[in-house]
Amino acid sequence: MKNRLKILRAERDWSQQALADRLGVSRQSVNAIETGKYDPSLPLAFRIAALFNLAIEDIFSSPSSGE
Amino acid sequence: MARHPAYRRYTRRMAGLGAAYVAAILVAATFIPDGSPPTPAAIALALVPGIAVLGVIWTMGRLLLELDDEYLRLLEVRKFIVATGLLLAFASLWGLLELFTAVPRVPVFYAFPVWCLGLGAGALYNRLTMGEDGSCP
Repeated sequence: MKNRLKILRAERDWSQQALADRLGVSRQSVNAIETGKYDPSLPLAFRIAALFNLAIEDIFSSPSSGE
Repeated sequence: MARHPAYRRYTRRMAGLGAAYVAAILVAATFIPDGSPPTPAAIALALVPGIAVLGVIWTMGRLLLELDDEYLRLLEVRKFIVATGLLLAFASLWGLLELFTAVPRVPVFYAFPVWCLGLGAGALYNRLTMGEDGSCP
């Protein structure tokens, strides 16, 4: 699954650790999600979306959707 | 990077149980003569180290329950799956060799140590497939 997490984080000038602390997860989790190695669960995806005040689909998109 | 508290508890529990296991093995080896018949006393003493082994299994289960970071929990579960697969493969293949050939019998006692070796293989698998994020902190 593709995502805009790295861009959104960079826009706020947050480090991966800073984002991880805000989400209550490890820095490894943030990096794994950003690099597409790991797709977060729905609850974590909702937490990420809420943190950025966006809808989940504004952050995550299916590789087959072409978006 | 701060280590997840669940890993600290896991390490502390494992250290205690490891020490208890070694002590119980030494006691059993001291008081049970070689080739002892399976008397109730010998059986009871021989099973005391098993309490520590059960504690180790409980500790591994607690790690999965206490890891509230879903990605780190995934890494641990992947290690468990790799270890279980390797143990089943080893036990099945060696069992066939024992069935049809005169290879030495491997005591079932070794199942858990082999599974633990498989955890190392699982950690390597995580590292190879997840890169630097594949190592549990």
